[in-house]
Amino acid sequence: MRGETVRSLRRRTPLIAAVLAACTALAACGGGSGGGAGGGGDVSSLTLYNDKGAWKANFQDLGKASKAGTGIDLSPVGYTDENAYQAFIKSSFRTSKRPDLFTWATGGQLQDLVKQNLVAETTGAWTKAIADGDVPEALKQYFTIDGKQYCVPLSVGYWVMYYNKRIFAEHNIEPPTTWAQLMAAADTLKKAGITPFYQTNVLFSFVWFETLLAGTDPDAYEGLGKGTVKYTDPPVQHVMQLWKDMIDKGYFNDPGVKTDPQAMVKTGQVAMANFGTWFSGSLNSLGMKSDSDYGLFTIPNVDPSLQKTSVIVEAGPLCSAANAPHKAAVDKFNAWLFTAPGQVAWSNSRGDISFNPKAKTTDPLLTAQASFVGGGQVRLLNRYFEATPAPVLTAALDAFGAFVTHPDNAQAQLAKIQAAADAYWK
Amino acid sequence: MRSLRAVPLALLGLVWLAPIYLLVVNASTPATEYDSRTVWKPHGFALFTNIGDAWRKADLGHSVLSTVTYSVVSPLLAVLVGAAVGFAIVALRLRHGFFWFAVLFAGSVFPLQMLLVPLFVGYADTSLYDTRTGMLLVYTAISVPFAAFVMRNFFTGVSYSLYEAAVIDGAAPPRIFAQIYLPLARSALAAIVILQATFVWNDLLLGLTLSQSDDVRPIMPALTSLQSAYGGSALPTVLAGALLVSLPTVALFLATQRFFVRGLALGQF
Amino acid sequence: MTAISRPATRRRVNLAAGGFSLPAVVLVAGLLYLPFLYTVYLSFTSYNGLGTPAWTAWDNYRTIFHDPDLATAARNTLLWVVGTVTVPVGLGLLLAVSTYGRRFGTWLRLPFLLPYAVSGVGVGVVWGFILQTGGAFGQALDFAGLPGKDTGWLLDAPVNTIAMIAAASWQSVGVNALLFVVGLQSIPREPLEAARLDGATGFRLFRHITWPLLRPITTVVVGLSIVGSLKTFDIVWVMTQGGPGTSSETFAVSMYKTTFVAGDYGVGSALAVALTVLTLVVSISYLRRQLSGARAV
Repeated sequence: MRGETVRSLRRRTPLIAAVLAACTALAACGGGSGGGAGGGGDVSSLTLYNDKGAWKANFQDLGKASKAGTGIDLSPVGYTDENAYQAFIKSSFRTSKRPDLFTWATGGQLQDLVKQNLVAETTGAWTKAIADGDVPEALKQYFTIDGKQYCVPLSVGYWVMYYNKRIFAEHNIEPPTTWAQLMAAADTLKKAGITPFYQTNVLFSFVWFETLLAGTDPDAYEGLGKGTVKYTDPPVQHVMQLWKDMIDKGYFNDPGVKTDPQAMVKTGQVAMANFGTWFSGSLNSLGMKSDSDYGLFTIPNVDPSLQKTSVIVEAGPLCSAANAPHKAAVDKFNAWLFTAPGQVAWSNSRGDISFNPKAKTTDPLLTAQASFVGGGQVRLLNRYFEATPAPVLTAALDAFGAFVTHPDNAQAQLAKIQAAADAYWK
Repeated sequence: MRSLRAVPLALLGLVWLAPIYLLVVNASTPATEYDSRTVWKPHGFALFTNIGDAWRKADLGHSVLSTVTYSVVSPLLAVLVGAAVGFAIVALRLRHGFFWFAVLFAGSVFPLQMLLVPLFVGYADTSLYDTRTGMLLVYTAISVPFAAFVMRNFFTGVSYSLYEAAVIDGAAPPRIFAQIYLPLARSALAAIVILQATFVWNDLLLGLTLSQSDDVRPIMPALTSLQSAYGGSALPTVLAGALLVSLPTVALFLATQRFFVRGLALGQF
Repeated sequence: MTAISRPATRRRVNLAAGGFSLPAVVLVAGLLYLPFLYTVYLSFTSYNGLGTPAWTAWDNYRTIFHDPDLATAARNTLLWVVGTVTVPVGLGLLLAVSTYGRRFGTWLRLPFLLPYAVSGVGVGVVWGFILQTGGAFGQALDFAGLPGKDTGWLLDAPVNTIAMIAAASWQSVGVNALLFVVGLQSIPREPLEAARLDGATGFRLFRHITWPLLRPITTVVVGLSIVGSLKTFDIVWVMTQGGPGTSSETFAVSMYKTTFVAGDYGVGSALAVALTVLTLVVSISYLRRQLSGARAV
């Protein structure tokens, strides 16, 4: 039997060797074509690294539009894992693979890069765009460090309350304009057996914290981000108490539920979801129609005596490395992206809002929201995720996740976050 | 007596398959009808639509050829390299054999996540980044410790007298390795190749970090683009994609079952 | 002197042994050891991924040993080790022994092997919605009239860790069984037949003949389980990210969170080094004990 095996292996050996050789040859021949062609000047395509892998088709649409407008196409390289993406971008600066274009985040993350002089300055492009009326001046602050601007805004999201229209209609609920009305609506829904609000204990566990704090004491909210206010101070304690009351009244779904929020809104498992305006895209992908199946409203301030309505904004910047390989092309593309053609192409592809008042999107809900924010009665606050330094954010996300699971130990959780904050701000 | 035990085993097997049942049923639900409160009941049969959607949205077609290449070549290379060192330690009695074995084994202990950044920097600096050769090298290196471990242990079960007899017959080590030891080890070789091919096929992190072009990146990074907090696809589509991508490994398992039926004669008696 | 032991032959054989080992050592040293050495270097520095690392000597190690969350990670990791080395290994062995050599044996084994073939994305998502509150498991319990429909299986420690160990075992039982089958295949017929002729059957046969002869492969299965369980990361990350809070974190999850989420590469690398040293000490002492003298003549 052994001899038979040896013989059959002998017969098969040349075959196996041939297969191995063919595969290795195939492997050696294939290979990355890399980003744009080498050389600094004229390129026809820029590589756009991004952490929104699911938006690949949208980036390609944008590329088609920019090719028509500037002759420069885009080739997106997408990641969906945020941590892997950040590690990649951070380490790419040391190598020859410095990114021409990459998505990033405002706040501490941008500051980290600027401190090391790794990001290209865009002050010129901003000045021109503001002068042309392409971007509201209020947005500039999130992209400004030490008086200079870096990166350009790709997308902007305002955080609002999405709701299932059918459920509201069935229970005779109108979109609330005050906090009292919102709580009354939640009460009605709860009595009817429907969970009013969506919550989760991973990733977006900070959402209700920022909403409640921005709606009670926006100055304290901004202070947390700068380290001038402590997590153990009274304004924050007050918010945790409010939050706990809402959880105890059963206004939220069980935090251990892992179903996508858009699916929960669609099937009526929850009536409302607190999300950024990009959530429209998620609802649309399940076949829901804007304004007929779902609606949105600005979340009213908890404290009605505040002058302006607090709205959380999430600015999605597009950045370029400081000595990027194709600087001229990047500058050209950036200038175009600010303008209406660029913004219209992007917003319509994404089904999202644009910051450019001249860019009219096809979605009526989003257009209305954009004009409301531009109206002047709004105080914009940077999203908690961007406004908080990374080590503090990690501790905070853990703490909020633990809190919504067991709302009794707010004190312990706040102390943990503050410990991380103390270590960071010292 | 033995035939009675088949029934409980088969039943346990069915229970074991319950999560796969869930996977298939929910991957077949039309994307707009998914309701997480009734996951056990079939809701319709849109499996092929969902698979088509997943294929298109995640652009899976580009990654298939490269992933197949990696999953076939790297395990084959690794198993040969591993068997060679196992042979060297056991039959050729490599000096300080346990030490070298421990060195190779330790390679499987290093946490992969921490190796990603230095590997990326090293690859970028040596122009191996985003090349199929680079991916093959790293997948082979990752597979070698496991292969060496199994083969070294397997070869301790092969009688040394086989080696001695071959030497007396005038054979040199390479011939003994290729014509005696390797053929005897075919089921161990098959097990290693199957398990490593599956591991390489399912790899996400290395593919994500060390490549970027569509035709170099393996299939898992492409698949995960379906799932995103920022608006990925509906759950049935994600599951259909996961199911589709699991089919080749299932086929591999089915096709190689015959290696594990008969006994081997390793010459101990 | 026989042909084998002559000095010239010995030297030639040593050379051959070196040549056979070289590819393995080069690959592992270049692509695994070099990056790990960089991690060791980082563990003595303070680094956030940008700029240059700043040397801080043993500070990071001092930090981790004073971290209270480390005790939680230690408890969870220990649960993983015990859970992985006992149940999936035992079940895998049982499965291999019950199905090897019988008619339809490979088919009976197949349902247990298929889970390993399912991609990581699929496993994470499927078990996520089985174990979520009100998920498939809860629905099944409800259908059978048992309590547990609204239990948060993934919300409370240590239940969440145990639930995830079950999910991981779903995949590993089949793999262990496959490896045990390879071991069973290499057991020669002669001693088995001789023992049967002497009247040994069933469990006695297994205990005195089969089990000792399975030792080389048992070492592989247990060794791999020890290493794999100490390094547990993927399934915990996909299902709970170590949460809620830090209640289901393992060493590897803490390491990853510290490095990539909080951006503290220095402390994260120190955790990686500590974890590696721990795993090496445990696994190599196990292997040393098992592999000395286990050689067929």
